[in-house]
Amino acid sequence: MLEDFISGKKGLFATGIHTELRAQENRQRQVVLVQGNLTGNVRVETAGVSARVCKNGVYGFSSMAEGSGQAAETVLKAATENAVFMDRHVQKKKGMLPPVGRGDFPAGKVITDTEQKRYIEFVKEIDAYILDRYPKLSSRTVILSADSMEKRICTSDGYDGHVVMPRNYIYVFLNSETKAGVPVELFDVAGGFGNFDDVFREPSLVYPQIDCLYEKLMQKREGVYAEAGYKTVVLGGILPGMLAHEAVGHTVEADLVLGGSVAGPSLHKQVASEKVSLVDFAHTAFGKETPLPVRVDDEGTPAEDAVLIKDGILEGYMNNRESAEHFGVKPQGNARAYSFSDEPLIRMRNTAVLPGKDKLEDMIASVDDGYYFTHSHNGQADMTGEFMFGVCMGYEIKNGRLGRAVLDSTISGVAFEMLKTVDMVSDEVIWASSGFCGKKQPMPVGMGGPALRCKVMIGGR
Amino acid sequence: MEDIRVIAQRTKDALARAGAQKAQYKVTMTETHEFNVDGGEFSLFRTLFDNSLSVTAYKDNKKGSAITNKLDDAAIGETIEVCLKTVESGIADEAYDFASGREPECFREGCYEPDVDKLFERTKELMEDIRIRHPKVIVEQLIVSHKKNHTLYQNTKGAEFEVFAGEYSFSIMFSAHEGEQTTSFFGCDAKTDKLDRPFIELGTVERELCDAEAQLATVPFDGKWEGVAVLTPGALASLLFSALYNFTSDSVILDKTSIWLDKLNQKVADEKLTVSIAPCDSRICCGERFTNDGFKSEDYDVIRDGVLLSYMLSLYVSNKSGYERAKNSSYSIVVEGGDTSYDDIIKNMKKGIVVGRFSGGEPGTNGDFSGSAKNSFLVEDGKIKGAVSEVMISGNLAEMLQNIVAVSKETVEDGSTVLPYIAVDKIVISGK
Repeated sequence: MLEDFISGKKGLFATGIHTELRAQENRQRQVVLVQGNLTGNVRVETAGVSARVCKNGVYGFSSMAEGSGQAAETVLKAATENAVFMDRHVQKKKGMLPPVGRGDFPAGKVITDTEQKRYIEFVKEIDAYILDRYPKLSSRTVILSADSMEKRICTSDGYDGHVVMPRNYIYVFLNSETKAGVPVELFDVAGGFGNFDDVFREPSLVYPQIDCLYEKLMQKREGVYAEAGYKTVVLGGILPGMLAHEAVGHTVEADLVLGGSVAGPSLHKQVASEKVSLVDFAHTAFGKETPLPVRVDDEGTPAEDAVLIKDGILEGYMNNRESAEHFGVKPQGNARAYSFSDEPLIRMRNTAVLPGKDKLEDMIASVDDGYYFTHSHNGQADMTGEFMFGVCMGYEIKNGRLGRAVLDSTISGVAFEMLKTVDMVSDEVIWASSGFCGKKQPMPVGMGGPALRCKVMIGGR
Repeated sequence: MEDIRVIAQRTKDALARAGAQKAQYKVTMTETHEFNVDGGEFSLFRTLFDNSLSVTAYKDNKKGSAITNKLDDAAIGETIEVCLKTVESGIADEAYDFASGREPECFREGCYEPDVDKLFERTKELMEDIRIRHPKVIVEQLIVSHKKNHTLYQNTKGAEFEVFAGEYSFSIMFSAHEGEQTTSFFGCDAKTDKLDRPFIELGTVERELCDAEAQLATVPFDGKWEGVAVLTPGALASLLFSALYNFTSDSVILDKTSIWLDKLNQKVADEKLTVSIAPCDSRICCGERFTNDGFKSEDYDVIRDGVLLSYMLSLYVSNKSGYERAKNSSYSIVVEGGDTSYDDIIKNMKKGIVVGRFSGGEPGTNGDFSGSAKNSFLVEDGKIKGAVSEVMISGNLAEMLQNIVAVSKETVEDGSTVLPYIAVDKIVISGK
């Protein structure tokens, strides 16, 4: 457990100046087996302490790769000097941030560190299963990726906290070839929040997912190119979650709103069909713990859900304490930092489209000529809400029936236009949490949503 | 903080005590000064002190690595212990290896000590230049920093490299606005070891600011055709990186999924294309000086005059596959300019687009790509007709390199890469 060497330093916080002091340790473990060759076998630990000081509306920050009371004092002093430098040169002359209450959030979990040998044996078993069961694959890669962050947070005018977030995932990449000898690839990921033995009890529990992946790959090797153009589609699997995160979520992060995102002039306006509601959940959604629960952020703000779109109307943004004051709203705990040397930024937590009442099979049956897309390997969006997702698995829909699989393609659109075309929403939410969101710093995030029937641009051949 | 050599010696001693038969280790000490501008206003000044000890040990042909940022005695001992346990858990493979060395080498690169006040002034100047020259542009985020690294690499076969490197870098994201009209985001990065020029003159900053304002008014674009796309250096960087990764990197040669497998010394691209990986080129700022396997980095050509000359392989995959290792492990891509001016490339086009930024799905192993052509312009009858939005392009990376019709004389140097504008034919271009 991360030692508490910072709470005793609160007496050094200057009066009337917002100060955060954070001790943090991040761990990564990785095992990579490519065709049975161990190409990655590494354990990484980074730890240190940082301070952030706000003086008259500008911030100073400093960090050191040391876990000691002396290091805490050093970064407090350096962060204060940096804030003074900025204040002298910039002179924003802003006052103190409104209070968020005081208290303490203890850790809800203890991180247990799994030995590398256990990881390797587990991955080898999965690799052996694939080799034994599917010997005709042209290649296979199994990656185990475990990461955790543990933080102790002390603030001058907010909550203190002990934050623990372990994640464990196994990625399986399978390659085959089309009849013409062209390589095709598909991957899937298993795992989630928690320590390794909580998430993966035994390799055989992953096998059904691998069997399903193989079946889809075999369909894909017989696949056809999607037809380029503007089409009706059913977005399933992880895609609605990506839409919630990439195409909408980023545009309603308050720092990007202030930077000119399309959500600025859209507040309280209709940005989606009335069937669409979207929430950035803190720690509980639909009566269960979210994929990556957040109870307090790195500014000492207690985390609560942020309602972004309600019945198609843009209701609000995600904020840190400073932007919440700017917009005259209550901060909801979205300011998070990835590493000890990172400052808190406005980040999503578990962003999801809310479920509707439609059945997936009815949605597919309602499409005469379109596609059902299910898997994606990456996505991007910008401040206009124009998004692009790489789609690596999907099917044609012809006369309400699923047809041939499709090869890799891309879909794109403009979120606040595309969401107005959503006319059916399924009743089941699918979550994902293995990725990192990239916004100056990486950050583990959860994203989810039900299947959506809508119109998008397809970049086929 | 203790001397870097003392830490390296302690690491070496601890490795020997723990029973490592071979090892390579790298100690890095980093100091960063960084200014942030958010939403057009200065927001943050950061000073960061960090370290890294990266150890890879070998025993009975097994290999494992451990990395920490704590450099005290106890932490070094713990890291070595973890590293050896990792090794022992591994799988034996005779192909694991690293370089032998003779004389220690020392490099001093860039500007080691920062001028923080000057850096702040250059940042303020950039914000002022944008405000005056490009009033429709809002800077969403600007990050300006100086980073200095002192690195010492040693291995048990006698190789040693010490590097003192310091560089200024900036990364800017912005968009143009007029009323409720908003463009897509534009972003560019540059690295430099001098503060002698205004930041607006570096890399593609000024050009992209102009393009952002031009994107506020778009011309209609519909239909679908196969034609010429001019890839700006920004768009070329992402597509060329994907091509090199998908066809020449460790993973695709090891698992034999590269479509360029067995194509060494064969023509894989148009003869107008030469692609070098050149960290030692004077136009690259603080490029790599030694590889991940402990070899001194040297520049090399992946493709020369359209012919594939090298894969981008580590020593491990070289040993596994029998192909030569790459002479450096960086992605410092240098593509020299061609013989056609950018203006002439446009003049020679009947109908096509200039692609400012490619935002696409990761191309598959077969090289197929498709995605949005962001910040792009329509060209008809040799003239730029206007900005376009919601345009998609698709093609195949391998075919794209074969279908190059022109390489511009002009190149853009941003400290990380040197790239021209390249016109490629047979790209599928489609509108809404």
